[in-house]
Amino acid sequence: MNIQEYIESGILEQYALGELDEAQRADVERQAAAYPEVRAELEQIESALGAYGEAHALTPPAGMKERVLAGFQASIRQGAEQVPQASTPEPVVRQMSAPTTEEEDAKIVPFRVSWSMAAAVALLLLSGAANLVFYNKWKAAENDLVVAQNQQASIASTVQAVNKTLSTRNQELAVLRSDQFKTVALLGTPSAPGANARVLYNPTTKAVYLDVRKLPAPPPGKQYQLWALDQGKPVDAGVLAAATAAGDSLQQMKDIASAQAFAMTVEKEGGSPTPTLSTMTVVGNI
Amino acid sequence: MLVQRLRDRDESAMTLFYEKYSNALYGVIFRIVKKEEIAEDVLQESLVKIWHSFQSYDPSKGRLFTWVLNISRNLAIDKIRSRQYRVNSRTQPIEESAALRQAAEPSFRPEHIGLQEVTRQLNPEQKQIIDLLYFGGFTQSEVAEELNLPLGTVKTRARAAIKVLSKLIR
Repeated sequence: MNIQEYIESGILEQYALGELDEAQRADVERQAAAYPEVRAELEQIESALGAYGEAHALTPPAGMKERVLAGFQASIRQGAEQVPQASTPEPVVRQMSAPTTEEEDAKIVPFRVSWSMAAAVALLLLSGAANLVFYNKWKAAENDLVVAQNQQASIASTVQAVNKTLSTRNQELAVLRSDQFKTVALLGTPSAPGANARVLYNPTTKAVYLDVRKLPAPPPGKQYQLWALDQGKPVDAGVLAAATAAGDSLQQMKDIASAQAFAMTVEKEGGSPTPTLSTMTVVGNI
Repeated sequence: MLVQRLRDRDESAMTLFYEKYSNALYGVIFRIVKKEEIAEDVLQESLVKIWHSFQSYDPSKGRLFTWVLNISRNLAIDKIRSRQYRVNSRTQPIEESAALRQAAEPSFRPEHIGLQEVTRQLNPEQKQIIDLLYFGGFTQSEVAEELNLPLGTVKTRARAAIKVLSKLIR
């Protein structure tokens, strides 16, 4: 065989372009194996055509890489389940096929992750991520709300307490500023010489207020009790609250119809029906 | 090595393969089928085919690039030769897409030649024939028929065109 003629016959180009049938192809491969010149020429043609193809390289559209690789994986997994070794060796170059029928067309439709499927998956993932973000935000907002509600409740109760104190003080102030109240100074007896208190008594309304300036702390389990003395007889005017005894505020006592003097004794908690005179702490006449 | 990993059925090697060859394969496929969606299908089919028939790749017979390019090109040509494709694309103007005017990508091969250089070096007759053969899926006889030329002329021009390309990469 004349090698040069063989090379120039154009059969190697046909081989490289995929025009030959199987028998012709096998023949070319035999020649290439037998003659280094043929082989070198064939390699050159293949490189030239490869370079021509590569000169036309294009960047695939965005997102295609993910879709194609996902489709590839799905396809080979699917194939692996059905036919473990379905592959027949693919010749490097093979005969150009005649137009295929429609049934064949149907067969070569690839497993394809479609645009819409990819978009749906992307949307699902996106929505999941958004849900997580919004859930976390919602949780944080809920916590903030609970904190705010607690703060609001505590402020409200503070305001309530302040209002109550204010109305008490206003009442006290009204008593102190009123002309109708007589001030009765109660001074310490020899058993409590430093003790000092005032009774504010309104003979018209019978109202009695007590204003402690200084009193010794009562013994444990005991309470101070105020008495009105009317015609020498003691009348219960009520026990002193701890705050009153400490001098923190005025205390309205029981109404007294008529009195000439007031006195305080130390009695058992809750008060006594009659005064224990030995414990008299302060006393004063109107 | 990529070849070794593919031979070892390492699926992750396909990602590397894609990064290395997708521009070249996609460019050729797209110029054959002329539609982005179909080119994407064919590229994916190519990966599957390369994967399944990888044991038939013989490095001593040629480079991996040549082998995979042939697989992709053959699949793309099968596509345009299918009856359904021809029916569907009858009304489509050729080279309608803006993508065809895109610049070629930087290459993974040192001997890479640019599209402009190719176009400058090939004369229009050579380019027409090589394009019909390479991207049109025509045989040399079909080209002769199409262009109303003797088969011998087509063969000569094709050989000359390939010689020009060989010189460019040398």
